Amino acid sequence: MQYVYSLLVLIGIYVTLSASFNLIIGNGGLISIAHPIFFALGAYTAALLGIHFNVPVLVSIVAGMLVALGSSFALSLPSLRISGDYLLIISIGFQLGFLQVIKNIDFTGGAGGLGNIPSVLSGETRDIVFASGSLLMALGVVLLIRWIVRSPYGRAITAMRDDELAFVTLGRNAMKIKLVIFALGSGFAGLAGGVYAYYFLYLSPDQFEILQSATILTMVVVGGMGSTLGPVVGGVLLLALPQAITFLQLPPNVMGPLQGVIYTLLVLIFLFVRPQGLISAARRQT
Amino acid sequence: MSEILAIQGLRKSFGGIVVADDVTLSIGSREILGLIGPNGAGKTSLFNLISGVVLPDAGTIYLQGAPIDGLPLYRRARAGIARTWQNVRLFETMTVMENLLVAPREYGGESVLRILFGGAAVRREQEALRERGSAILSRMGLAATADTLVTDLPFGQQKLIGLARALMNDGPCLLLDEPMAGVEGGVYETIKAIVREEAASGRAVCVIEHNISFIKDLCTRAAFMANGRIMQTGTVVELLSSELFIELYFGT
Repeated sequence: MQYVYSLLVLIGIYVTLSASFNLIIGNGGLISIAHPIFFALGAYTAALLGIHFNVPVLVSIVAGMLVALGSSFALSLPSLRISGDYLLIISIGFQLGFLQVIKNIDFTGGAGGLGNIPSVLSGETRDIVFASGSLLMALGVVLLIRWIVRSPYGRAITAMRDDELAFVTLGRNAMKIKLVIFALGSGFAGLAGGVYAYYFLYLSPDQFEILQSATILTMVVVGGMGSTLGPVVGGVLLLALPQAITFLQLPPNVMGPLQGVIYTLLVLIFLFVRPQGLISAARRQT
Repeated sequence: MSEILAIQGLRKSFGGIVVADDVTLSIGSREILGLIGPNGAGKTSLFNLISGVVLPDAGTIYLQGAPIDGLPLYRRARAGIARTWQNVRLFETMTVMENLLVAPREYGGESVLRILFGGAAVRREQEALRERGSAILSRMGLAATADTLVTDLPFGQQKLIGLARALMNDGPCLLLDEPMAGVEGGVYETIKAIVREEAASGRAVCVIEHNISFIKDLCTRAAFMANGRIMQTGTVVELLSSELFIELYFGT
């Protein structure tokens, strides 16, 4: 049962991550690969507040979200001022650099990871609370994003992505919109980080490697970029699939490589066969 | 006739190519100024300079007496400079009405906080915008297309939607970049009528156009551009009969 609960917690976390990343890349058209680092910022902030300052869990998690949200400007402000293309380049540096910092200072536990995160609740109650909490977080984030995307603000985001120059010459401040959606997306990733920290009670820098961004991107692409339900389907599917494969009873010499290449394979298959993802983005209706 | 847009000593070059060479021009309220000249004369570049897409090397642009040079791109539109594009540039994944709704000078939907907590005020505002959009579409006989995806419309109608979107900006200055290119028949007459009405309502309109009969029919005054310079301004008749114009335009 423990296994099912932890899978549910992970599903909530990854749906949150992919939905928020979808807001940035799918709706906003902003290409960044630094999503895992905002996930990490939320996780480490929440954990450290709990370990060193005995801050209550919920407060720590919210603080983690705010730190991720706030630090997104350090990446978005300088790069978006020049041009959207620089966001990708600077995000690579941001992702790699920040992870090096986490790996090399004692305060964050270094490369060995951060343990001693205070545990709240115990037994099955803990699993149930975290599983439902994590799923509720995902639901809340998905609904909020859906609401934003369908609102007049979402209309502005779509117009900006369609033709930024025409959009700006209508009097719209595209820079501000980009900063805001990048901050919101990063904040949600930080929120997921806090939940992750307090459920698994151990953080290792490896969990926030650049490869995580490939995982999240796969979820977005397979689910359907720019559609609100896409990342939900993508997240659930891609977390369940590797688990499902283990039940196939394939020989280990097939299983190992298969699990290794499954994400890459899926991205390639989807880009060829169904580039809009499982759920295609809805056309905007008035 | 009060002066709406005034341009003084505007200069811009890209490397060795001079697109604006000491351009001085003014357009008054109710006026329709035709901007004519061969391809590459700097007409669209002049629009880009006025709307803020490109920054000048020297010179000043005044809107109703106030300099707008320091204003970033998006603030110039808010100050009241509306423009259309030669290649229309509609938002292609959106419907006609949605293209119009993001276009007014002040758009309350631009703040996430307002969307989240604005409640009824935001709804009322959106409703008012929708009515304005519908009214503009009706003037063009396109009310029925409001919920159509813009890419599903024929090119002539897309051109009209481009104009409709610019009209959502009710500012004093309207810049039209080749509104007639690729357009014929009924749409042609509609655009002519709309441009006339807009000028009559007190706006200053500047039209880049190769269609000489359109310029003749509509413009109160014309300016002839070549090599980034305003070669001559005057009434349309004066200009069309000038030797310089015939030589540079038709190459005879």
